[in-house]
Amino acid sequence: VRRTYWWLVCLAPRHLRERHGAEMAELFADAVERARARGRLAVALVWIGAALDIAAVWPHELSRRRRQRGRIGIPDQGRPIMLGSDIRFALRSLSRQKFATGLVVAMLAIGIAANVGVFSIVNGLFLRPFPFDDPERLMFFNEKAPRWNLEIVGINFPDFDQWRKDQKLFEALALWSTSSLNVADGNGAERVVAASVTHEMDDVLRVQPIIGRMFNGEEDSPKGEYVAVLGYGFWQQRFGGNPAVLGTTLKMNGRAHTIIGVLPREADTFPGDARLWVPFRGDPNQEGQSYGANGVGRLKAGVTAPHAEKDLLRAHQPIFDKRDRERIVFPFVQPLREIAVRDYRTAASTLSVAVGLLLAVACANVAAVMLARALARRREMGIRVAVGASRWRLLRQLFVENVVLAAIGGVLGLALGHWAIRILVAQLPDTAPPWATFGLDLRVMVFAAFASIATVLLFGWAPALHAVRGDLRSAMHNVANAAFTSVGGRRTLRVLVAGEFALATLLLIGGGLLFRAYDRVRNIDPGFDPHGVLTFTISLPDAIYNDAPKRLAFWDRAEQRMAQLAGARSVGLVNCPPFGCHWGSFYVAEGMPPRGANEASPVVLNRFATPGYFPTMGIRLESGRFFEADDGRRSEGQERIVIINQTFAKTYFPGVGNPVGRRIRSTGDNAPWNRIVGLVEDVKHYGLERPMRPGVYWPLAQRPVETMAIAIKTDGDPDALIASARTAMRELDAELPLFGVRSMEQALRRTLAVRTTYSWMLAVFAFTALLLALGGTYGVSSYLVTQRTREIGIRVALGARRGDIVRGVLHTSLAVAAGGIVLGVAASLGLSRFLESLLFGVNPTDALILSGAIAVLLFSALVANALPARRAARVDPMHSLRTE
Amino acid sequence: MNRYNTPAMKTREYYLLLALVGGARHGLAMAREVERLSDQEIKLWPATLYGTLDALNDQGWITESVQTPADESERKRFYSLTRAGRQALAAETERLAGVVRIARGRLKRAGEAS
Repeated sequence: VRRTYWWLVCLAPRHLRERHGAEMAELFADAVERARARGRLAVALVWIGAALDIAAVWPHELSRRRRQRGRIGIPDQGRPIMLGSDIRFALRSLSRQKFATGLVVAMLAIGIAANVGVFSIVNGLFLRPFPFDDPERLMFFNEKAPRWNLEIVGINFPDFDQWRKDQKLFEALALWSTSSLNVADGNGAERVVAASVTHEMDDVLRVQPIIGRMFNGEEDSPKGEYVAVLGYGFWQQRFGGNPAVLGTTLKMNGRAHTIIGVLPREADTFPGDARLWVPFRGDPNQEGQSYGANGVGRLKAGVTAPHAEKDLLRAHQPIFDKRDRERIVFPFVQPLREIAVRDYRTAASTLSVAVGLLLAVACANVAAVMLARALARRREMGIRVAVGASRWRLLRQLFVENVVLAAIGGVLGLALGHWAIRILVAQLPDTAPPWATFGLDLRVMVFAAFASIATVLLFGWAPALHAVRGDLRSAMHNVANAAFTSVGGRRTLRVLVAGEFALATLLLIGGGLLFRAYDRVRNIDPGFDPHGVLTFTISLPDAIYNDAPKRLAFWDRAEQRMAQLAGARSVGLVNCPPFGCHWGSFYVAEGMPPRGANEASPVVLNRFATPGYFPTMGIRLESGRFFEADDGRRSEGQERIVIINQTFAKTYFPGVGNPVGRRIRSTGDNAPWNRIVGLVEDVKHYGLERPMRPGVYWPLAQRPVETMAIAIKTDGDPDALIASARTAMRELDAELPLFGVRSMEQALRRTLAVRTTYSWMLAVFAFTALLLALGGTYGVSSYLVTQRTREIGIRVALGARRGDIVRGVLHTSLAVAAGGIVLGVAASLGLSRFLESLLFGVNPTDALILSGAIAVLLFSALVANALPARRAARVDPMHSLRTE
Repeated sequence: MNRYNTPAMKTREYYLLLALVGGARHGLAMAREVERLSDQEIKLWPATLYGTLDALNDQGWITESVQTPADESERKRFYSLTRAGRQALAAETERLAGVVRIARGRLKRAGEAS
């Protein structure tokens, strides 16, 4: 304790420290000792108090010193705090040099604006609390199955029922799954995202319906009445916020639901982007398992996620005993925010670092400009010292100047940042969590203020140090001979330029690597041809289309009708289009050895498709055949058939040349065998960057499901088909809305949206850093050339050739730039492994990127220094010598 | 301003002088005594304590004497009241008593009026 306190004592005024340091430490140790009895908070308060205490003696100390100075007769010029006059003086001296000031302010503003923009995203995603009470106690829970290679399986309702009875560490647990419902009234149908939630959801989120009530446990059961609680936005939009809506019915998926309540505004963002809540209606005694729901719970105070997870595992034990002896599926718990932002974490931290580096480059630039100015002002400073100004006074003056600059830069940066946020938000993919909002709030303001203060600290030290260093004699000497810059000043300038180049190199290499990764991902073969394909989804309400023949008949009619649309070349149906949903199950291959007990059992993606789907999507056949029109429709006893993808063939038939003709079946006791008739290439169903799972296509006729995506291939613009497709569907069934309407190219772009955004942002930052570094080296070498005019004049007079002069100037500047670049390359080699997870297999030491970045930097350094070098070469010896 | 023409004492200065009335003490003991006298109201942090002691010393109200025991690390500065310090303390006490008298009177009258 005493040793740490000693660091604090070092900050105290010297005479206090030297006279009383030991006793102060003793007193402090005594205070800590007594506070310890009252807990950790009290100890922390003692520490804070001690720090404040030492800060508080300084004003007394300063006035004491002033009094003492007064006693020995030095003019007491520092007494009035002339802050106003300092600021006025700063503004005058800054406005005298409009160009330099403008440059500095612009650079600071750009640096701060970029930081504000990125920070607002970080703020929105990671810092801004959820709009619920004690949001840090909200936990996401779900089930995982490492042996099925599934991070999130989805929750099986009976499992949840078990947990909610046995768990002890949660205040409440709730289950939800989002689905979209057809909401129909007289004037047409609408697709509305709804959340099926268990009746505990209001307790978990701590929200109260603003009117009406939340549904109870009875309504949330398989036999319960159909009720709905509206979201605020939906209530406003569809019912104009009319409270009389309570008790009326809303027809959803062909069934009348009684409206019993309206949720407050904050519940609109959770779960998912649901617009209304309906009861989950889970059946604890359901047959078989159906994994698919998500869970959210509120921890009791003081409980951590790992403890809560252990608690759920304990509650899960009866299920292990009853039907999962191998412990394949089990629950896990994570903070809600973590699960929501996990896709953005690396990207966001990379961007934050990059934008911080950008600000550092801007600051180095500003420091260089200010230092050059300060060195040019040594004569002024010398005179002021000579006529009796104290160094303290001069330092204060310079400090005020810097603060004024940073304040202007900060305000401009904030304004620019406001605008940058809007651009950024427009660029953000719509896959961003719906609860995340971005914009200027208090936190962003505070951040901008801190960024501005940081810039003062970063750029202010060098000029201040050099302006007031050195003795009076040399300063006065400089009055007679203003052209000579101090060696130290020149060295600092070069260090700053080298630093800029190092940071710019780092950014360029990082940006280059990410951009190359982006390019690589973009050029991955998705396994299908997205050009000119429009997809949309239709969901048949089971109240009306209640058996398989009815559904199949509808899908047949829809396919035929869509094929008649003007411009449609081919049409196909599938339950899960690429980048869409997932329906997983497990298979057994005939004649292959069974899997080992501890081997991961691969989940297989099931898709139900019509024969037209394959040509419409341009899916490539490797061997065998596609589906034919009557596959799955012939009479009983017909052999069931499937098509598999390459990954399925590799996973289930390793070493078998061509699995077409072999048979597979689902796991389970009485599942029938299915003959493989075709082998197709993989479609990158989970995104271009994700590995594909084994996949099986079934003929739709064999199992007509309720929700299907319709894909239409056209030669022209797919968006032009939307209106006519909508009209045609309305003719078939006026109460069926189309949703998920997008072209396949759009869908593809959407999967790349996050990567596209951050790659471009990083590219922009890298380019800006490059520009700043160029400006910096240009400015510094121009300044140095001007300062050396006389020296160069002498050299020319003594017979140096122009080439020698140019070479001399270029040599130093390029050496400085090269030094910075070498440093930057070394740093990037050390740091790029942190990027690895974003690099998608691009080698962090990619030779092309490294050499490209070095070449660009060296070339631009050469260009930026060529101008000052030429100016140096044109120095007229007679003229330059005479001016002195 | 009182009759010694010095500004009113700071509370902690007053208490520190008061703590020395019983005889010489060192810093830590004074801090404890002040806490006891003020009923835990006034807590003296290290830098404030020694800064104030230096100020009182500069003013000539207290003197310090260094006792040097065998162990150098045990070295402590002891402070005691000077004559001037005792007078200043008495004057400040008088001043405070005057303020208290006036305040009591007014409060009493205000109580009767209402």
